[in-house]
Amino acid sequence: MSEFLTLTITAMVPFLFVAQGTMLSGRAGIFNVAQEGLMLLGAAVGYIISLKAGGNVVGIIAAALAGAVVGFILSWATTSLRLDQFVVGLALFFLAGGTASLLYRVVIGNDEPPRIAPLPELILGQDAMVFVALALSGFLWWWLYRTDAGMRLRSVGENPKAADSLGINVARTRMWAGTVGAALMAVGGAYLPMVFSGVYADGIVAGRGWLAIALAFFGGWRPQYILAGSAFFAAMEVLAQRAQVSGVGIPHQFVSMLPYIATLAVMVFALRWALVPQFLGKNYDRESRIVG
Amino acid sequence: MSTDVTQAPEATDVTDVAAAPPLAQRARSLAFAAIPYAVAVLAAFVVVAVLITVLGHDPVAAFRAVLTNSFRNQTGMVQTLHKWAPLTLLALAFAIPLGAGRFNIGGEGQMILGTVGAAAVGITMSDLPMVILLPLVLVVGTLAGAVWSAISAWLMESFKINEILSTVLLNFVSFEVLDYVASVVWSDPGAGGAVTLPIGEGAVLPGIGRPPMHTGVLLVLLVSVVAAVMAKRSVAGFELRAVGLNERASKLHGIRTGRVAVTSMIVAGALAGLAGAIEVAGVHQRTLEGIQSNFLLLGIIIGLIARGSLTAVPFVAFGIAVLEVGAGSMQRVSGAPVEIVLILEGLILLFLLMSDVATERWRRARQARASRAKSQLTKGAVA
Repeated sequence: MSEFLTLTITAMVPFLFVAQGTMLSGRAGIFNVAQEGLMLLGAAVGYIISLKAGGNVVGIIAAALAGAVVGFILSWATTSLRLDQFVVGLALFFLAGGTASLLYRVVIGNDEPPRIAPLPELILGQDAMVFVALALSGFLWWWLYRTDAGMRLRSVGENPKAADSLGINVARTRMWAGTVGAALMAVGGAYLPMVFSGVYADGIVAGRGWLAIALAFFGGWRPQYILAGSAFFAAMEVLAQRAQVSGVGIPHQFVSMLPYIATLAVMVFALRWALVPQFLGKNYDRESRIVG
Repeated sequence: MSTDVTQAPEATDVTDVAAAPPLAQRARSLAFAAIPYAVAVLAAFVVVAVLITVLGHDPVAAFRAVLTNSFRNQTGMVQTLHKWAPLTLLALAFAIPLGAGRFNIGGEGQMILGTVGAAAVGITMSDLPMVILLPLVLVVGTLAGAVWSAISAWLMESFKINEILSTVLLNFVSFEVLDYVASVVWSDPGAGGAVTLPIGEGAVLPGIGRPPMHTGVLLVLLVSVVAAVMAKRSVAGFELRAVGLNERASKLHGIRTGRVAVTSMIVAGALAGLAGAIEVAGVHQRTLEGIQSNFLLLGIIIGLIARGSLTAVPFVAFGIAVLEVGAGSMQRVSGAPVEIVLILEGLILLFLLMSDVATERWRRARQARASRAKSQLTKGAVA
């Protein structure tokens, strides 16, 4: 049982980073859909820098910076140029994913890739990133719901016009929320090779980025529920792996399906609870005369 | 969630329906639509050329390899057309709901269900003669895709569940369905891996030419022509665009916007399902894990580069198919890695978006100049 718990906590960390990043951007109204690409980029940059610089911390910081650059492009294109968020997000998803594979191919080539050192154990058999992820979730909750700055950020996602009229800089808020959010997503990606495989591969993310979007909706765009949702998704992932190896009476494919179907079911029953920021994915034009 | 991706070309299309403008005006608007494309493609190629040079390869050789591979011989052409067929269908499956302002990210899952449906019929009824079996395979595949997207459409309409979310989640469910079918139900024990038994001989799409091109390509050509004509000339197509441009106004004018959105999703699923059936009946003669390839992503990119115009989709799809087929040959000839092609496609899309901004600013500046000139004129008249 404790092994199950350990595995679940490890599997939870990438979900947590990426989903909280999605939530942070989304709360300011930036709907990032480039998670899959950003995670891939984070994984590639994190792996390569860790290998070359010889330290996981440097790798994680480099991955965060790479993610921040992509997030900044997204935020700039959707606030200053007011391009469609979804379309720009998808374009960046392709670009980030392509860049990740390219970086790996150029630096490592087709040779047998060397493994990077796994993250060292801190306490309770868990590495430091686990605690960073948990602390981040707590901090985000406190910051969004217990500080003025957090309330301002939420107001930008709910009603930018009202926020603007109160002197909140909508564009700047969105810019930094989008940038930091994307950096968190890349960190979530960088965690993968450091814990699971030791090497980078093009299929390493395996849809976790898209699932993080589902998690953000699942958690009603609130950090505390996203934490719970991540734990659930991670537990299911571990359970499905276990079912595949040892068998649990029903075909493992049906166990693997569970989290996705459960998410849809929760969405159906939690209709009122799963609130979505009003301006999620919509750009704000100060000069526009159309309300809403 | 509303979008303005389709705005630029559609604005002229609406007048198209009302009264055809003179030919000269049409030609000019076509030219204006073509310029941003040319600039975006050119800019993307230039950036990628710099990238290839930095990596120490020859960009000219790389581009020659990637662009000529499809046209050098029959094999390259057939490969390209075999790629083109599913790409066009998947791009339509993305672009049609996009017209109504909905995002179908589930083309992959719908296609997989299409392959499962087609394979199920092709395997269990393999003794039937071709005249019955082949149409049955295609129809069941199409229906399976439609049912899969209908789930998302229903969740979207009845429970207001974001369609991006439900289609993405159903993609993951479809992978498991495929795995179950291919490794448990109709597993081919000799194949090793999640591969089904082959479908009956009567279920295989006949090929033409040498090397044979499966006739699914012709079917897709027909479908894309019908889709393009429907979008431009039918009431359904008009309603679709109206809902995408302004959902509230459409509702006020009596369009049943919910029904339009739901229909667009179901049609999209049917097309993706057909793509799956064609892959089974034309290319693989079975379904297997990974049959969906990266068609979903490329379909989205094609739909977005075509800016939701169903007429443009087949042409853009052909261009992307050429790039995809040429990617391998590029790596062999020039040493530039295949990932370059993905970056090229992403950049084309990004620059196309940027060119929208540029065109818009240029048009506004011109309008401002014109109105300034006009006001000076009237001032002069008063004086």
